[in-house]
Amino acid sequence: MSSIKSFIMRRIWFSTLTFIILLILNFIIPRAMPGDPARILVNEYQLPMEAVNQLKATFNLDKSIQEQFLAYLRETLLHLNFGYSYRYYPTTVWELLMQRLPWTILLLGVASITTPAFGILLGIISGWRRGKKTDLAITSTSMFIWAIPYFWLAMVLLYLFGYLIPIFPLGHAVTPGVSHQNLFEYVVDVLRHMILPIIAITLTGYASYTLITRNAMIETLMEDYILTAEAKGLPEKKIMLNHAARNALLPTVTMVALRFGFIVSGSIYTETVFSYPGVGLLIYEAITYHDYPVLQAAFFLLSITVILANIIADIVYLIVDPRVKYT
Amino acid sequence: MTKLMLSKILENEIVAALLNNRKGCVGLIIVIFFIFMAVTADIISPYNPWEIVGPPYSPPSSSHPLGLNDIGQDILSELIHGSRVSLIVGFSVAFFGTLIGVTVGLISGYYGGIIDDVITRGIDILLALPSLPLIILLAAYLGPSLFNIIFVLSIMGWGGIARIVRAQTLSLRERAFVESCKAIGMSNFQIIFKVILPNIFPIILAETVLRVTGAILSEAGLSFLGLGDPTKKSWGMMLYYANSRFAIFLGRWEWVFAPGFSIALLGTAFCLIGSALDEIANPKIRRER
Repeated sequence: MSSIKSFIMRRIWFSTLTFIILLILNFIIPRAMPGDPARILVNEYQLPMEAVNQLKATFNLDKSIQEQFLAYLRETLLHLNFGYSYRYYPTTVWELLMQRLPWTILLLGVASITTPAFGILLGIISGWRRGKKTDLAITSTSMFIWAIPYFWLAMVLLYLFGYLIPIFPLGHAVTPGVSHQNLFEYVVDVLRHMILPIIAITLTGYASYTLITRNAMIETLMEDYILTAEAKGLPEKKIMLNHAARNALLPTVTMVALRFGFIVSGSIYTETVFSYPGVGLLIYEAITYHDYPVLQAAFFLLSITVILANIIADIVYLIVDPRVKYT
Repeated sequence: MTKLMLSKILENEIVAALLNNRKGCVGLIIVIFFIFMAVTADIISPYNPWEIVGPPYSPPSSSHPLGLNDIGQDILSELIHGSRVSLIVGFSVAFFGTLIGVTVGLISGYYGGIIDDVITRGIDILLALPSLPLIILLAAYLGPSLFNIIFVLSIMGWGGIARIVRAQTLSLRERAFVESCKAIGMSNFQIIFKVILPNIFPIILAETVLRVTGAILSEAGLSFLGLGDPTKKSWGMMLYYANSRFAIFLGRWEWVFAPGFSIALLGTAFCLIGSALDEIANPKIRRER
């Protein structure tokens, strides 16, 4: 019991440390760049004078670096103040992000279940049929798909199922300009717009889960208890799922958290291709408009999402594997 | 002992060993094909990729097999020239990333103690942050240039290899032959670089080659988001324009297909070589196939 406690404490301490580093990075990066980018926050060319003066005062931009840092901490942590978006002034960065975040959470939430699930399933099959044609097909496809650019696969899917065979909408999260009769219609519309992006994220992200699960399966299949199960005359499917897969899954679970950052990357590209109005598309727009405050806040927000996902994965791991060595 | 022999094989007959492996052979042929393309781009491309040679958005024709882009440049010529950026970024980032990763990993694994704790914690944090948003942020602030892309991808991409090298070094450090090197009075520096490094070289090589694929994909991704070097033709940037100028809705599939397929093909080639090297370095994997 005490070891579980110390494990959790260690993980919380690590997450806190990561968060602190994130805070510091987010402060340093704009200030360490050439050409006085602290001024980026108060860009005279893009914001009206009153906003510039107000930002200078709140963020202590005319004062020493220590005072700037304290102001930055106060504004970021207490007031969630990231300044104004250049493009959408007078909308603040925070308001903008909050408009976009729900869509990204929806996409990420679904994709972070479908991606590992699909990858692990293929890995189990591939490991079970190792050396056979099925295995060869799965592993070689996985390897090719691993080398495919995220956004390209999304574009190909969009071309095939949006343009050539128009069964899915060409983008956005809901049909623009349509007022929905009732909630049900709205949900159906949202789901229809989600399917292609989810398939795109899943297909670009599943491969590493497959390869790891496959290797873990092969290792597990060499264990004596599998031989015992076979000798007992248990049906193949039962051995595959109950005996081999269950144990092979453990190394994969830790990976789910580690790869969550990649799912975030996948969603940035996918949202860009499908004009899906989440944080990823916002990042793309911010790059085009040199909207630095938005870029910075988006990085901050996505990092926090990943840190939280790591904590959740740790808890899941504790539940899944009671033998875990708390190291 | 086997590892020592392997590093000898790798030093002397790396190409021969690769050619004996079917995966390695295919990968090598594809890579050589693209290197040839990059080197002779000025000679073999039918047009200057920057020159406006016809009306914008022209569909494929006999003189322009892939058609023209949104400002009337020949897409096939762009494609041929684009191989340069991918190869340069791929090789440079893999090289510099490996250099940093191996050095950090060796120091961390060999010295242990507080140095190791701090470095390991640092790598954990580096890997815990979502890399793409951080890379985008850095690239956006630094401004779009090939050098900046290589710089950002290199300093962000050494965590994985450092971790592997550290683990290997940690186990090698305890072996008898390292002990005996210490006994005959070799310095730490000599032991790290002359004894330990050659022993983990095969693993490093495989990882480095796999890193090339990662770097090619990252560069393409940054260019696709509009952070690429505007003075160089790259596959990612071709896709950026294809996407922002709605090539898909105009039915211009070849404009989308060609650059993406090239990235995937080159990426797969390095993957194949990497996994072939892995098989050569780890006979255990080889036996299972």
